[in-house]
Amino acid sequence: MKTIIGLEIHAQLLTETKAFCACKIDVNAKPNTNICPVCTGQPGALPVLNEKVVEFAIMAGLAVNCEIHETSSFDRKNYFYPDLPKGYQITQYFHPIATNGYLNLESGKRVRIRRIHIEEDAGKMIHSSENITESKTSLIDFNRCGVPLIEIVTEPDMNKSEEAKEFMEKLRDILRTLDVCSGNMEEGALRCDANVSVIDDDGRSSSRVEVKNINSFRYVQYAIDYEIERISKVLRDGKDVKHETRGWDFVTRTTVSLRSKEEENDYRYFPEPDLPILKVSKSQIENIKLNLPELPDQKAERYMKAYNLAKDNANIISKDKIISSYFEKLVSLKIDPKDSSNWIVNDLIALFNADSIDFNADKVPIESLKTLIEYTNSGKISRLSAKEVLGEIYKSGRNPEDIIKERNLIQVSDKNSLVPAIKKVIENNQSVVEQYKKGKTSVVGFLVGNVMKETKGKADPKVVGELVKKILDGEIV
Amino acid sequence: MLSKLSVEELIEQIKLNKISAEEVTNHFVEKTALVDPKIKSCISTVFVKGGDGILKGIPFMVKDNMEVTGTKTTCASKILENYVSPYTAMAVQKLLDAGGVVIAKTNMDEFAMGASTEYSNFFTTKNPWDLQRVPGGSSGGSASAVASGMVPFALGSDTGGSIRQPASFCGIVGYKPTYGLVSRYGLVAFASSLDQIGPLTKNVRDAALIGNIIMGKDQKDSTTVEKQMNLLKEIEDPIEGFKLAIPKEFTKGLSDSVKNVLNDAIDNFKKMGVKVDEVSIPSLKYAVAVYYIIAPAEASSNLSRYDGIRYGLSFDGESVDDIYTKTKDEGFGREVKRRIMLGTFTLSATYYDAYFDKAQKVRAKIVHEIKQVFNSYDAIIGPTTPSVAFKIGQLSSPLEYYLQDIYTIPANLAGLPAISLPMGKVDGLPIGLQIMASRFEDEKLLRIGRNYEISRGKFPLPEVIL
Ligand SMILES: [Zn+2]
Repeated sequence: MKTIIGLEIHAQLLTETKAFCACKIDVNAKPNTNICPVCTGQPGALPVLNEKVVEFAIMAGLAVNCEIHETSSFDRKNYFYPDLPKGYQITQYFHPIATNGYLNLESGKRVRIRRIHIEEDAGKMIHSSENITESKTSLIDFNRCGVPLIEIVTEPDMNKSEEAKEFMEKLRDILRTLDVCSGNMEEGALRCDANVSVIDDDGRSSSRVEVKNINSFRYVQYAIDYEIERISKVLRDGKDVKHETRGWDFVTRTTVSLRSKEEENDYRYFPEPDLPILKVSKSQIENIKLNLPELPDQKAERYMKAYNLAKDNANIISKDKIISSYFEKLVSLKIDPKDSSNWIVNDLIALFNADSIDFNADKVPIESLKTLIEYTNSGKISRLSAKEVLGEIYKSGRNPEDIIKERNLIQVSDKNSLVPAIKKVIENNQSVVEQYKKGKTSVVGFLVGNVMKETKGKADPKVVGELVKKILDGEIV
Repeated sequence: MLSKLSVEELIEQIKLNKISAEEVTNHFVEKTALVDPKIKSCISTVFVKGGDGILKGIPFMVKDNMEVTGTKTTCASKILENYVSPYTAMAVQKLLDAGGVVIAKTNMDEFAMGASTEYSNFFTTKNPWDLQRVPGGSSGGSASAVASGMVPFALGSDTGGSIRQPASFCGIVGYKPTYGLVSRYGLVAFASSLDQIGPLTKNVRDAALIGNIIMGKDQKDSTTVEKQMNLLKEIEDPIEGFKLAIPKEFTKGLSDSVKNVLNDAIDNFKKMGVKVDEVSIPSLKYAVAVYYIIAPAEASSNLSRYDGIRYGLSFDGESVDDIYTKTKDEGFGREVKRRIMLGTFTLSATYYDAYFDKAQKVRAKIVHEIKQVFNSYDAIIGPTTPSVAFKIGQLSSPLEYYLQDIYTIPANLAGLPAISLPMGKVDGLPIGLQIMASRFEDEKLLRIGRNYEISRGKFPLPEVIL
């Protein structure tokens, strides 16, 4: 059995104003406050293209290795819906601005990108019931109407739901690095429709099913997996898979039929007569290319080469530009890059992940982490204590020195004060000492552990280890 | 006698302190109150004053498909019967800024789809030359208002001849500027790639004067172009040595009486030392067919927004589709529905290649062939309409109406500037001479028109008997 997956992704662009009028974009604005004759489809109003939208679309296109077209054009996609005030959406159907790109997944697999085009978002509807057909009343907010989008269409090059998820995450990381899209799927700033079909072991191919309304990265995987299973079962039962559009229901974690292909709109695409051909010059494209920020893959490559970071760490740090700039600042403060990466990946990111929030440099000031790493490396506090302090900084934002002092975490590495404790442990573990004397040196760790317990974790394990050996070997009496 | 004066003459009178700007405005407001009940040019009378400028106190009327803040903009449609404009169209704003005063919004065929105002949802406007006849359309309200002296000029819009054909029927001047010269911002779209705003005036000089004010690149209309021109500056420079082309396709099947009038016009040109040749532009025979694919296609999309959700007529319904169906069924007239259906059909995935795409290709061919003619000629001339104004109710089939625009459509398809000005009378009714020039050669167009106008002599307008 083989699965074929293609994605259609919509990304809201982070421009200050809308795609075809001067209205502000502000997700927090009161409903219907950022509107004008153009974006509410008043008679006689005309669209004017926001240049920033073109720049952002070109940036995205270049970042995913697309060919950027010096000439592209706008078209109208006609359909009726209350949140679409003009009765058509301005899009690029016949001649998109970018085509023929790709992204490589971690496995080395290449997912080709067929096209990227510019279009406008519709308004937002709030229904009194589940959906428009069951609702007595529906409200429309046109603030979102005309917000610029780019649609990114892949070739059906993915075969596993994990690949689709990875592609989406990779794309999000790129768009965020470019600062052209927030990448937030839950808020609808990044949306994903998946086209799924299955070929069974006898070579029978199912129709293509489109799954819409996937609103998180996890659900990309769940929804596709659900759909693969559903289609496979239909095939196993010897039935025909309907060519249809289905919606992901995150409550039931299933997909439900939205409409069959026969019920699909005929969008009556035709060239938008209100907008001239979109022309961008070679030099304009070159200029955007030159000013493109370092992309996650390039950054990871650099970290591996320059700092000798492990691939996993390099990837994790470089995919988010807030994390990577945090890392680079830490390195610039003379903290060893490998140490920095380990602390960020193993300890710091874990804290944010546990709370399911985005990495935020303000929660743990770079200076604080620097101090913490220095304390640990010089043996003043144990790694374990450091972790505890980091947790406290994350929670309260307090100064690490204060926390260390208050919790009395400075390690005991003074031999004279440690020897009595070690001797006590040796006394209580004579059988273990016997094993050591027979040549089983690995038991030292056990003894060290007990010493640590005895000193409530404040002893420096390295120093303890050395002392234990010396006492056992009779070098210290 | 003020009603007989041109815009230029009125400006002169005010400048010489023979009359005040206010008196001029008031005169035409009163005249309208007297004459309009007979002619029925106006859908609504309004009073919107502008700033201080060359047009100070000069009243004008605006076709009811242009937005003027606070006025109803109905497009002569039930669906927008109570729609009040939230903003002002750029062309109107420029006239207001120049001091003009809007005193009425004029009747038209619904959404500018028609050639007689008979397709207005409200009433049919009368031709001041003969009240039994139509004034032409779709800018019939504006043309009849100027011809009957209610205003010295009015704005119309021209998608397939909607300024020029009523100008021809009413014996006045109708000027459609080059596509892209005048902002369409605030003009309710019928067919966006063809629509253009222009003035209806008593003479060519006034057309140039108003043209100068309303033209110019507008940030709000991306299809406008920056062009420096002054339509009045060289308008009376002689045209000796000019070459004009008359396409065979424009004279085939003309009645003898129209031919005679046209021949007189040709003689006038020859007397001015202008060469007039017959040429052939074979693709012109497809112009009407191409137009009736492209215009309805764009219209079907442009009129989608009248859905009863945000503004205009709205019927409650069981479902969204029910609201749409009831609103559109009640709100749109027969001709509008016919064109929406035609356009929806030709844009459908199955027929796109066979109709819309093919029409676009033929349009390109027409543009190309006309361009070829302009390589050797300064302008193309011919009659504006095949005949004089017809009687109200005389035409019965849509096709007969569609053929009204047979000579005017090519200028819209090619985005050319074109003008209609009276060239004579047939059976006591006026008929226009149409002149078309190359894109953005509006100066030359009006210069040819003005020279002809001078050679022709005065063309008195009718006195409406009250
Ligand atoms: Zn807006």
